[in-house]
Amino acid sequence: MSRRVVDHPVLGSLNEKEPVSFTFNEKKYCGMKGEPIAAALLANDVRTLRHHEEKDTPRGIYCNIGHCFECRVTVDGKQGVRSCLTPLEEGMVIESGGQLPTPVRDWRSSHE
Amino acid sequence: MTENMIICRCEEVTYKALVETANQYNCSARELKLRTRAGMGYCGGRTCRHMVDKMAADLTITKQTDITLKYQPPIRPISFGHLGADES
Amino acid sequence: MNDVIMIGAGPAGISAAISCAQKGLEVLVLDEYLEAGGRLLGQLYEEPNGSWWNGISESDKLHRQAMNLGVQFELNTPVNNIEKLGDHWIIYTENKTLSTNHLLLATGAAESPVPVPGWTLPGVMSVGAAQVMTNVHRVKPGERGVIIGVNVLSSAIAMELKLAGVDIACMALPKMNAITNQQAHPKKVLDSLLHVSHMAPSQFVKMGSKLMKNDFMKKLGVSFYPKNGVTMWDIPIQLRKAVVNIYGNKQVEGVTLANIDTNGDLVAGSEENVATDFVCIAGGLYPLTELAAVADCPFYLIEELGGYVPLHNEKMETPLNGLFVAGNITGIEGAKVAIAQGTTAGLSIAQHAGVDGLEDEIKESIQVVEETRDNAYIQFHPKVKKGRKKVQDRWGNYVGTVSD
Repeated sequence: MSRRVVDHPVLGSLNEKEPVSFTFNEKKYCGMKGEPIAAALLANDVRTLRHHEEKDTPRGIYCNIGHCFECRVTVDGKQGVRSCLTPLEEGMVIESGGQLPTPVRDWRSSHE
Repeated sequence: MTENMIICRCEEVTYKALVETANQYNCSARELKLRTRAGMGYCGGRTCRHMVDKMAADLTITKQTDITLKYQPPIRPISFGHLGADES
Repeated sequence: MNDVIMIGAGPAGISAAISCAQKGLEVLVLDEYLEAGGRLLGQLYEEPNGSWWNGISESDKLHRQAMNLGVQFELNTPVNNIEKLGDHWIIYTENKTLSTNHLLLATGAAESPVPVPGWTLPGVMSVGAAQVMTNVHRVKPGERGVIIGVNVLSSAIAMELKLAGVDIACMALPKMNAITNQQAHPKKVLDSLLHVSHMAPSQFVKMGSKLMKNDFMKKLGVSFYPKNGVTMWDIPIQLRKAVVNIYGNKQVEGVTLANIDTNGDLVAGSEENVATDFVCIAGGLYPLTELAAVADCPFYLIEELGGYVPLHNEKMETPLNGLFVAGNITGIEGAKVAIAQGTTAGLSIAQHAGVDGLEDEIKESIQVVEETRDNAYIQFHPKVKKGRKKVQDRWGNYVGTVSD
């Protein structure tokens, strides 16, 4: 976990929180209990949290405070959960979203 | 490169699509939104609304204070399950 | 039903909760984030007296003080709508519906982006996102980054990243287009930075204060701007280079920089690639007013305050009965001003709720807001006081119209 800021000249050293394990897209990771899911994933070097529903482009955190919804993931079966502000808990099953069929868009371009 | 640049991240609306629509229809921000879907995605336009407002203001003859994008509830996405949930 | 509900557990919301609770009201504070403190959490800068303004400990102090006074907090609770029903305000959250006679909107600010090709790649984030990741959650946004957009907020956060051991390759302007034209124009950017030059005790400032005596000299400042930038806290600040592209296969691998002339136009053939694993987008802050808008509060565009702000008076009342505002929803300023505004809002609410004899205390608190503004270390807009005056004038006009 080299991405953790362990020692900080002003904020001091990191208070170790209780470690927990969770899965993201079926792979097992470790994080700190109560930290945002997005922070735990970034600490594990995971940047891509989902792929765009229409064009399949990869996305990660953008605003990190709940405004942009770019970091949304599925947590224990619940869709559209913002990973930037959802506290991590032991055993969470987290999955990213991917491309969906877009029949309406495909239809639109031929009917303008 | 700039042409294909995304402005609305949720709906993947490009710079080019917005410039062309603004030039063609000379329209308000609201019309620009409705024609391109910029600002109509998952985040409710929180990220791109000012860019869409600015493009409408700068690229068309409408005045900035005329018609900006409006807000309407729910301002955060909620599931139909929660929307119709029994309060008890 | 609660006596008072505050939406937003940032500096304004908590300080309002404290002053209401001190007057004996029962207060509930809602916030969608997982911790109390709002944008104050990430702040970290050295004050002129050498002490550090530490947003985490300041948030903690406010939060504890409020809890000790019996204020209830419900975090991770997004509000999706509010409406007026008779005398009550109804607040809709995902899991329940609440009601109150007095509602404070302290929803703060959101970041506006400067769009750059490739900015949807994982690893590209708003500059505030990098701040929160680093200072609050103590996870580095990456090993080496580039910050696009040179302004008060991004300069402050660049220093914070540096402090945490994150390498910043450079700060540069975005490429000029119909959206970025203000933030991509070297002279306009330089102008906008002059009032914060005290934050950069470096060559940048010395150069600034000597050269910026008049418009001609300002132009010279940009014309002779060193090709390799000037450094602030060892971070190269490039006002004559723009990021034209962010590249990477599945995530950020680097940015392409190009030289720009004094008007922000690209110099052909000057492109160079800089390897980075993260990029920050810094377009500034705007008041997050969506709940005031759905409540049908009148709005005005006040450039000096960062965008559209809901109409309000010095007592932080809106024209809608029982609806109050405080903090960055009323205009972009520092956390200390937000705390002072929160105190005023809390006292106003207590007065509305029937607590007698508060008039003098309210007047004093308004005075404190002004003093705090005058002494602010960070001022986001140099003419913020003019912006505040505009809102008061609008209030006068509006109230005049309604009573006619």
